[in-house]
Amino acid sequence: MAKNLVIVGGGAGGGSTAAEAKRNDPSLNVTMLEQGKFVAFAA
Amino acid sequence: MPYYIGDVIQDQKKLIARTPEKFREGGIDAQLFARVEGIDPARGEVALQDGRIFPYDVLVMATGTSAFVPELPGLDLPGVVSLRNLEDAIHIKTWLKEKNARRVVTIGGGFIGLEMSEALSAAGIATTIIHKDPLPANRWDPALSKVILEELQANGVEFVGGASARAVEKGTGAPLRVLMDRGDVEADLVLLAIGVRPDASLARAAGLKIGSTGAIAVNFSQQTSVENIYAAGDCCESFHRVSRRWVNIPLGDIANKQGRVAGRNIGGRPMTFDGIVGAQSFRLFSLQCAATGLSEKEAAEAGFSPVSNITWGSAMAPALGIKKIGLKLTADRSTGRLLGAQAVGAAGAVGRINALSVALWAGMDLDQVGYLDLAYSPPYSPSWDIIHNAAQALSRSL
Repeated sequence: MAKNLVIVGGGAGGGSTAAEAKRNDPSLNVTMLEQGKFVAFAA
Repeated sequence: MPYYIGDVIQDQKKLIARTPEKFREGGIDAQLFARVEGIDPARGEVALQDGRIFPYDVLVMATGTSAFVPELPGLDLPGVVSLRNLEDAIHIKTWLKEKNARRVVTIGGGFIGLEMSEALSAAGIATTIIHKDPLPANRWDPALSKVILEELQANGVEFVGGASARAVEKGTGAPLRVLMDRGDVEADLVLLAIGVRPDASLARAAGLKIGSTGAIAVNFSQQTSVENIYAAGDCCESFHRVSRRWVNIPLGDIANKQGRVAGRNIGGRPMTFDGIVGAQSFRLFSLQCAATGLSEKEAAEAGFSPVSNITWGSAMAPALGIKKIGLKLTADRSTGRLLGAQAVGAAGAVGRINALSVALWAGMDLDQVGYLDLAYSPPYSPSWDIIHNAAQALSRSL
Protein backbone atom coordinates (compact mmCIF):
# COMPACT_ATOMS: atom_id res chain seq x y z
CA MET A 1 0.00 0.00 0.00
CA ALA A 2 1.20 3.54 -0.77
CA LYS A 3 2.80 5.45 2.07
CA ASN A 4 1.01 8.41 3.67
CA LEU A 5 3.09 11.58 3.93
CA VAL A 6 1.49 14.25 6.10
CA ILE A 7 2.98 17.75 6.26
CA VAL A 8 2.04 20.17 9.02
CA GLY A 9 2.35 23.66 7.56
CA GLY A 10 1.96 24.99 4.03
CA GLY A 11 4.56 27.75 3.86
CA ALA A 12 7.93 27.64 2.08
CA GLY A 13 9.24 24.63 4.04
CA GLY A 14 6.05 22.55 3.80
CA GLY A 15 5.35 23.39 0.17
CA SER A 16 8.90 22.56 -0.94
CA THR A 17 8.88 19.29 0.95
CA ALA A 18 5.54 18.25 -0.54
CA ALA A 19 6.54 18.99 -4.13
CA GLU A 20 9.99 17.39 -3.91
CA ALA A 21 8.80 14.24 -2.11
CA LYS A 22 6.06 13.70 -4.71
CA ARG A 23 8.51 14.35 -7.57
CA ASN A 24 10.86 11.66 -6.28
CA ASP A 25 8.20 9.18 -5.28
CA PRO A 26 4.96 9.66 -7.23
CA SER A 27 3.35 6.78 -5.33
CA LEU A 28 3.23 8.82 -2.08
CA ASN A 29 -0.12 10.00 -0.74
CA VAL A 30 0.78 13.56 0.22
CA THR A 31 -1.44 15.69 2.46
CA MET A 32 -0.42 19.20 3.43
CA LEU A 33 -2.25 20.75 6.39
CA GLU A 34 -2.20 24.55 6.47
CA GLN A 35 -3.94 26.37 9.32
CA GLY A 36 -4.39 29.58 7.34
CA LYS A 37 -5.99 30.67 4.12
CA PHE A 38 -2.96 30.43 1.81
CA VAL A 39 -0.23 27.94 0.94
CA ALA A 40 3.27 28.48 -0.43
CA PHE A 41 3.36 32.25 -0.07
CA ALA A 42 6.50 34.34 -0.38
CA ALA A 43 7.90 36.38 2.51
CA MET B 1 5.34 40.93 1.63
CA PRO B 2 6.48 44.46 2.54
CA TYR B 3 6.59 45.22 -1.20
CA TYR B 4 2.99 44.02 -1.55
CA ILE B 5 1.82 46.21 1.33
CA GLY B 6 3.58 49.21 -0.21
CA ASP B 7 1.84 48.46 -3.53
CA VAL B 8 5.19 47.89 -5.27
CA ILE B 9 3.74 44.43 -5.90
CA GLN B 10 0.07 45.05 -6.57
CA ASP B 11 -1.30 41.57 -7.09
CA GLN B 12 -1.32 39.24 -4.07
CA LYS B 13 -1.34 36.26 -6.45
CA LYS B 14 2.27 37.09 -7.33
CA LEU B 15 3.26 36.21 -3.78
CA ILE B 16 1.80 32.73 -4.02
CA ALA B 17 4.32 30.34 -5.53
CA ARG B 18 1.71 27.62 -5.90
CA THR B 19 -2.04 27.60 -5.31
CA PRO B 20 -3.90 24.70 -3.64
CA GLU B 21 -5.26 23.83 -7.11
CA LYS B 22 -1.72 23.60 -8.48
CA PHE B 23 -0.75 21.35 -5.59
CA ARG B 24 -3.80 19.16 -6.26
CA GLU B 25 -2.91 18.91 -9.96
CA GLY B 26 0.48 17.67 -8.77
CA GLY B 27 -1.19 15.01 -6.67
CA ILE B 28 -0.78 16.84 -3.37
CA ASP B 29 -3.83 17.30 -1.18
CA ALA B 30 -3.45 20.83 0.21
CA GLN B 31 -5.96 21.44 3.01
CA LEU B 32 -6.59 25.02 4.14
CA PHE B 33 -7.92 26.06 7.56
CA ALA B 34 -6.60 22.74 8.84
CA ARG B 35 -5.54 23.49 12.41
CA VAL B 36 -3.61 20.69 14.05
CA GLU B 37 -4.61 19.86 17.62
CA GLY B 38 -1.91 17.32 18.33
CA ILE B 39 0.41 14.64 17.02
CA ASP B 40 0.62 11.08 18.33
CA PRO B 41 3.94 9.59 17.19
CA ALA B 42 3.16 6.20 18.80
CA ARG B 43 0.00 5.76 16.70
CA GLY B 44 1.31 7.73 13.75
CA GLU B 45 -1.63 10.12 13.68
CA VAL B 46 -2.26 13.83 13.35
CA ALA B 47 -5.46 15.11 14.97
CA LEU B 48 -7.09 18.31 13.74
CA GLN B 49 -9.08 20.69 15.89
CA ASP B 50 -12.16 19.91 13.81
CA GLY B 51 -11.89 16.26 14.86
CA ARG B 52 -10.44 14.79 11.68
CA ILE B 53 -7.60 12.29 12.03
CA PHE B 54 -4.82 11.89 9.44
CA PRO B 55 -2.73 8.72 9.79
CA TYR B 56 0.86 9.00 8.55
CA ASP B 57 3.81 6.80 7.71
CA VAL B 58 6.06 9.85 7.43
CA LEU B 59 5.36 13.24 8.99
CA VAL B 60 6.95 16.64 8.29
CA MET B 61 6.88 19.54 10.71
CA ALA B 62 6.88 22.82 8.78
CA THR B 63 5.15 25.02 11.32
CA GLY B 64 7.19 28.17 10.71
CA THR B 65 7.34 31.00 13.19
CA SER B 66 5.07 33.11 15.28
CA ALA B 67 5.61 36.82 15.73
CA PHE B 68 7.16 37.78 19.03
CA VAL B 69 4.60 39.96 20.76
CA PRO B 70 5.78 42.04 23.71
CA GLU B 71 3.64 42.44 26.82
CA LEU B 72 2.27 45.92 26.42
CA PRO B 73 -1.15 47.29 27.25
CA GLY B 74 -3.33 48.04 24.24
CA LEU B 75 -1.92 45.54 21.77
CA ASP B 76 -5.44 44.09 21.36
CA LEU B 77 -6.67 47.36 19.82
CA PRO B 78 -7.73 47.12 16.17
CA GLY B 79 -4.91 48.39 13.95
CA VAL B 80 -2.11 46.89 16.05
CA VAL B 81 -0.69 44.18 13.81
CA SER B 82 2.26 41.92 13.14
CA LEU B 83 3.40 40.65 9.76
CA ARG B 84 3.94 36.92 9.64
CA ASN B 85 1.96 35.63 6.68
CA LEU B 86 0.02 36.67 3.63
CA GLU B 87 -3.22 37.02 5.59
CA ASP B 88 -1.50 39.57 7.84
CA ALA B 89 -0.18 41.38 4.75
CA ILE B 90 -3.64 41.58 3.16
CA HIS B 91 -5.14 42.72 6.45
CA ILE B 92 -2.52 45.48 6.78
CA LYS B 93 -2.93 46.65 3.18
CA THR B 94 -6.73 46.75 3.48
CA TRP B 95 -6.54 48.62 6.79
CA LEU B 96 -4.14 51.21 5.37
CA LYS B 97 -6.46 51.82 2.39
CA GLU B 98 -9.67 51.99 4.45
CA LYS B 99 -8.21 54.40 6.99
CA ASN B 100 -6.51 56.42 4.26
CA ALA B 101 -3.44 56.03 6.45
CA ARG B 102 -0.87 58.82 6.74
CA ARG B 103 1.45 57.44 9.38
CA VAL B 104 2.54 54.01 10.60
CA VAL B 105 4.49 53.42 13.78
CA THR B 106 6.74 50.38 13.68
CA ILE B 107 8.01 48.92 16.92
CA GLY B 108 11.35 47.27 16.15
CA GLY B 109 14.17 48.43 13.88
CA GLY B 110 15.30 45.09 12.48
CA PHE B 111 15.24 44.33 8.78
CA ILE B 112 11.46 43.73 8.54
CA GLY B 113 10.82 47.09 10.17
CA LEU B 114 13.32 48.73 7.82
CA GLU B 115 11.95 47.06 4.68
CA MET B 116 8.43 48.08 5.71
CA SER B 117 9.42 51.73 6.04
CA GLU B 118 10.66 51.72 2.44
CA ALA B 119 7.52 49.95 1.20
CA LEU B 120 5.18 52.30 3.06
CA SER B 121 7.10 55.33 1.87
CA ALA B 122 6.53 54.15 -1.70
CA ALA B 123 2.80 54.18 -0.91
CA GLY B 124 3.06 57.74 0.43
CA ILE B 125 2.77 56.74 4.09
CA ALA B 126 5.18 58.18 6.66
CA THR B 127 6.83 55.87 9.15
CA THR B 128 8.17 56.25 12.65
CA ILE B 129 10.41 53.43 13.87
CA ILE B 130 10.76 52.92 17.61
CA HIS B 131 13.86 50.88 18.42
CA LYS B 132 15.36 49.87 21.75
CA ASP B 133 18.95 50.52 20.66
CA PRO B 134 20.41 53.84 19.51
CA LEU B 135 21.03 52.52 15.96
CA PRO B 136 18.93 50.26 13.68
CA ALA B 137 19.90 46.72 12.61
CA ASN B 138 21.42 45.34 15.82
CA ARG B 139 23.83 42.76 14.47
CA TRP B 140 25.56 45.40 12.38
CA ASP B 141 28.68 47.33 13.18
CA PRO B 142 27.75 50.83 14.43
CA ALA B 143 29.73 52.43 11.57
CA LEU B 144 27.51 50.65 9.02
CA SER B 145 24.31 51.04 11.05
CA LYS B 146 24.99 54.77 10.97
CA VAL B 147 24.86 54.66 7.17
CA ILE B 148 21.56 52.76 7.42
CA LEU B 149 20.22 55.42 9.80
CA GLU B 150 21.30 58.22 7.45
CA GLU B 151 19.50 56.50 4.58
CA LEU B 152 16.31 56.33 6.68
CA GLN B 153 16.54 59.99 7.59
CA ALA B 154 17.33 61.09 4.04
CA ASN B 155 14.08 59.42 2.99
CA GLY B 156 11.92 61.01 5.65
CA VAL B 157 11.64 58.04 8.01
CA GLU B 158 11.62 59.09 11.64
CA PHE B 159 13.85 56.86 13.74
CA VAL B 160 13.45 57.03 17.50
CA GLY B 161 16.42 55.11 18.89
CA GLY B 162 17.09 54.07 22.47
CA ALA B 163 13.36 54.16 23.16
CA SER B 164 10.70 51.68 24.24
CA ALA B 165 6.99 51.66 23.70
CA ARG B 166 5.09 51.54 27.00
CA ALA B 167 1.55 51.14 25.71
CA VAL B 168 -0.79 51.66 22.81
CA GLU B 169 -4.07 53.51 23.31
CA LYS B 170 -6.77 55.20 21.24
CA GLY B 171 -5.52 58.41 19.64
CA THR B 172 -7.20 61.75 19.10
CA GLY B 173 -5.86 62.88 15.71
CA ALA B 174 -5.43 59.32 14.48
CA PRO B 175 -6.92 55.96 15.53
CA LEU B 176 -3.93 54.97 17.70
CA ARG B 177 -1.35 56.54 19.95
CA VAL B 178 1.89 54.87 21.05
CA LEU B 179 3.18 55.95 24.44
CA MET B 180 6.96 55.84 24.72
CA ASP B 181 9.26 56.35 27.67
CA ARG B 182 9.87 59.74 26.12
CA GLY B 183 7.07 61.36 24.12
CA ASP B 184 4.05 59.93 22.31
CA VAL B 185 3.34 59.43 18.64
CA GLU B 186 0.01 58.95 16.86
CA ALA B 187 -0.53 56.48 14.06
CA ASP B 188 -3.13 54.95 11.77
CA LEU B 189 -1.47 51.56 12.20
CA VAL B 190 1.03 50.11 14.65
CA LEU B 191 3.25 47.34 13.33
CA LEU B 192 4.96 45.01 15.77
CA ALA B 193 8.25 43.97 14.20
CA ILE B 194 10.30 42.91 17.19
CA GLY B 195 11.12 39.53 15.76
CA VAL B 196 9.77 36.05 15.33
CA ARG B 197 10.10 32.83 17.32
CA PRO B 198 10.20 29.33 15.87
CA ASP B 199 6.81 27.73 16.33
CA ALA B 200 7.77 24.43 17.91
CA SER B 201 4.85 23.94 20.27
CA LEU B 202 3.29 20.97 18.44
CA ALA B 203 6.72 19.34 18.09
CA ARG B 204 7.46 19.84 21.78
CA ALA B 205 4.10 18.39 22.78
CA ALA B 206 4.78 15.38 20.55
CA GLY B 207 8.05 14.76 22.39
CA LEU B 208 10.43 15.76 19.59
CA LYS B 209 13.83 17.04 20.65
CA ILE B 210 14.01 20.84 20.74
CA GLY B 211 17.41 22.51 20.30
CA SER B 212 18.92 25.22 22.48
CA THR B 213 17.57 27.84 20.05
CA GLY B 214 14.00 26.80 20.81
CA ALA B 215 13.62 25.40 17.30
CA ILE B 216 13.16 21.74 16.38
CA ALA B 217 16.45 19.80 16.37
CA VAL B 218 17.22 18.00 13.09
CA ASN B 219 20.11 16.07 11.55
CA PHE B 220 21.67 16.76 8.14
CA SER B 221 18.89 14.75 6.47
CA GLN B 222 16.27 17.05 8.09
CA GLN B 223 15.16 14.19 10.34
CA THR B 224 14.01 15.02 13.88
CA SER B 225 14.74 12.89 16.94
CA VAL B 226 11.92 10.56 15.77
CA GLU B 227 12.95 8.58 12.69
CA ASN B 228 9.82 9.01 10.57
CA ILE B 229 9.30 12.68 11.45
CA TYR B 230 11.19 15.34 9.48
CA ALA B 231 11.24 19.11 9.88
CA ALA B 232 11.91 21.93 7.43
CA GLY B 233 11.89 25.71 7.43
CA ASP B 234 11.75 28.40 10.09
CA CYS B 235 10.55 25.97 12.80
CA CYS B 236 13.79 23.95 12.79
CA GLU B 237 17.51 24.51 13.25
CA SER B 238 20.25 24.55 10.64
CA PHE B 239 23.98 23.94 10.97
CA HIS B 240 26.10 27.08 10.87
CA ARG B 241 29.28 26.15 9.02
CA VAL B 242 31.36 28.95 10.54
CA SER B 243 30.40 28.66 14.22
CA ARG B 244 29.90 24.87 13.88
CA ARG B 245 26.73 25.32 15.95
CA TRP B 246 23.08 24.67 15.28
CA VAL B 247 21.23 27.94 14.81
CA ASN B 248 17.76 29.13 13.84
CA ILE B 249 17.72 31.73 11.07
CA PRO B 250 14.17 32.16 9.75
CA LEU B 251 14.60 32.97 6.05
CA GLY B 252 12.58 31.73 3.10
CA ASP B 253 15.58 30.63 1.03
CA ILE B 254 16.79 28.32 3.79
CA ALA B 255 13.27 26.96 4.23
CA ASN B 256 13.05 26.11 0.52
CA LYS B 257 16.34 24.22 0.58
CA GLN B 258 15.55 22.31 3.75
CA GLY B 259 12.15 21.40 2.31
CA ARG B 260 13.67 20.05 -0.90
CA VAL B 261 16.25 18.04 1.03
CA ALA B 262 13.54 16.60 3.32
CA GLY B 263 11.48 15.80 0.20
CA ARG B 264 14.41 14.05 -1.49
CA ASN B 265 15.04 11.88 1.57
CA ILE B 266 11.36 11.03 1.99
CA GLY B 267 11.06 10.33 -1.73
CA GLY B 268 13.96 7.86 -1.66
CA ARG B 269 16.76 9.89 -3.28
CA PRO B 270 18.84 10.75 -0.21
CA MET B 271 20.89 13.88 0.20
CA THR B 272 22.03 16.10 3.06
CA PHE B 273 21.55 19.79 3.76
CA ASP B 274 25.06 20.81 4.69
CA GLY B 275 24.20 24.01 6.46
CA ILE B 276 24.36 27.75 6.08
CA VAL B 277 26.87 30.56 6.53
CA GLY B 278 24.31 33.17 7.58
CA ALA B 279 24.05 35.17 4.34
CA GLN B 280 21.26 37.74 4.22
CA SER B 281 20.41 40.99 2.51
CA PHE B 282 17.85 43.75 2.42
CA ARG B 283 17.30 46.91 0.44
CA LEU B 284 16.66 50.23 2.09
CA PHE B 285 15.65 52.87 -0.46
CA SER B 286 18.81 53.21 -2.57
CA LEU B 287 21.07 51.40 -0.11
CA GLN B 288 22.05 47.76 -0.47
CA CYS B 289 22.66 46.04 2.84
CA ALA B 290 24.05 42.53 3.15
CA ALA B 291 25.86 40.42 5.73
CA THR B 292 27.23 36.91 6.05
CA GLY B 293 28.97 34.76 8.63
CA LEU B 294 29.44 35.81 12.24
CA SER B 295 29.45 39.18 13.93
CA GLU B 296 32.37 39.80 16.32
CA LYS B 297 30.15 38.96 19.29
CA GLU B 298 28.97 35.71 17.72
CA ALA B 299 32.56 34.83 16.76
CA ALA B 300 33.77 35.33 20.33
CA GLU B 301 30.86 33.20 21.62
CA ALA B 302 31.89 30.45 19.19
CA GLY B 303 35.42 30.41 20.67
CA PHE B 304 37.27 32.46 18.04
CA SER B 305 39.37 35.53 18.78
CA PRO B 306 37.80 37.93 16.29
CA VAL B 307 39.61 40.84 14.70
CA SER B 308 37.84 43.25 12.33
CA ASN B 309 38.34 46.20 10.08
CA ILE B 310 36.09 48.49 8.10
CA THR B 311 37.10 49.60 4.62
CA TRP B 312 35.41 52.33 2.58
CA GLY B 313 35.72 52.43 -1.16
CA SER B 314 33.89 52.53 -4.44
CA ALA B 315 31.93 49.74 -6.09
CA MET B 316 33.16 50.98 -9.49
CA ALA B 317 36.47 52.29 -10.81
CA PRO B 318 36.78 55.90 -9.52
CA ALA B 319 37.61 57.13 -13.04
CA LEU B 320 34.01 56.23 -13.99
CA GLY B 321 32.43 57.59 -10.84
CA ILE B 322 32.06 56.84 -7.16
CA LYS B 323 29.56 54.36 -5.81
CA LYS B 324 30.30 54.43 -2.12
CA ILE B 325 30.54 51.08 -0.38
CA GLY B 326 31.60 50.11 3.12
CA LEU B 327 32.82 46.62 3.94
CA LYS B 328 33.48 45.15 7.35
CA LEU B 329 35.50 41.96 7.57
CA THR B 330 35.93 39.82 10.66
CA ALA B 331 38.60 37.12 10.88
CA ASP B 332 40.14 34.82 13.47
CA ARG B 333 43.32 36.34 14.87
CA SER B 334 45.20 33.06 15.29
CA THR B 335 44.41 31.42 11.93
CA GLY B 336 43.56 34.38 9.71
CA ARG B 337 40.40 32.59 8.67
CA LEU B 338 37.53 34.76 7.45
CA LEU B 339 34.59 34.61 9.91
CA GLY B 340 32.14 37.22 8.69
CA ALA B 341 31.42 40.24 6.53
CA GLN B 342 28.94 43.10 6.38
CA ALA B 343 28.48 45.58 3.56
CA VAL B 344 26.38 48.65 2.82
CA GLY B 345 26.58 50.55 -0.40
CA ALA B 346 24.91 52.39 -3.21
CA ALA B 347 25.82 49.40 -5.41
CA GLY B 348 27.65 46.11 -5.28
CA ALA B 349 27.13 45.23 -1.62
CA VAL B 350 25.03 42.11 -2.18
CA GLY B 351 27.32 40.69 -4.88
CA ARG B 352 30.36 41.09 -2.67
CA ILE B 353 28.66 39.46 0.30
CA ASN B 354 27.64 36.56 -1.96
CA ALA B 355 31.29 36.09 -2.98
CA LEU B 356 32.39 36.24 0.64
CA SER B 357 29.69 33.70 1.57
CA VAL B 358 31.35 31.22 -0.78
CA ALA B 359 34.71 32.07 0.81
CA LEU B 360 33.20 31.33 4.23
CA TRP B 361 31.73 28.08 2.95
CA ALA B 362 35.17 27.07 1.69
CA GLY B 363 36.87 28.11 4.95
CA MET B 364 39.26 30.55 3.26
CA ASP B 365 41.76 32.69 5.13
CA LEU B 366 42.45 36.39 4.53
CA ASP B 367 45.42 35.79 2.22
CA GLN B 368 43.24 33.66 -0.05
CA VAL B 369 40.39 36.19 0.03
CA GLY B 370 42.86 39.04 -0.62
CA TYR B 371 43.85 37.53 -3.97
CA LEU B 372 40.55 35.94 -5.05
CA ASP B 373 39.87 35.99 -8.77
CA LEU B 374 36.80 38.22 -8.97
CA ALA B 375 35.01 39.48 -12.08
CA TYR B 376 36.81 42.76 -12.71
CA SER B 377 35.83 45.53 -15.10
CA PRO B 378 35.74 49.28 -14.37
CA PRO B 379 31.92 49.67 -14.20
CA TYR B 380 31.81 47.02 -11.48
CA SER B 381 35.01 47.46 -9.47
CA PRO B 382 38.43 49.05 -9.31
CA SER B 383 41.20 46.63 -10.37
CA TRP B 384 41.79 45.99 -6.69
CA ASP B 385 38.28 45.31 -5.42
CA ILE B 386 37.25 46.47 -1.95
CA ILE B 387 37.25 42.77 -0.99
CA HIS B 388 40.97 42.52 -1.86
CA ASN B 389 41.86 45.78 -0.11
CA ALA B 390 39.92 44.90 3.02
CA ALA B 391 41.28 41.35 3.31
CA GLN B 392 44.89 42.42 2.71
CA ALA B 393 44.63 45.26 5.23
CA LEU B 394 43.15 42.96 7.87
CA SER B 395 45.79 40.32 7.16
CA ARG B 396 48.57 42.89 7.68
CA SER B 397 47.10 43.80 11.07
CA LEU B 398 47.12 40.24 12.46
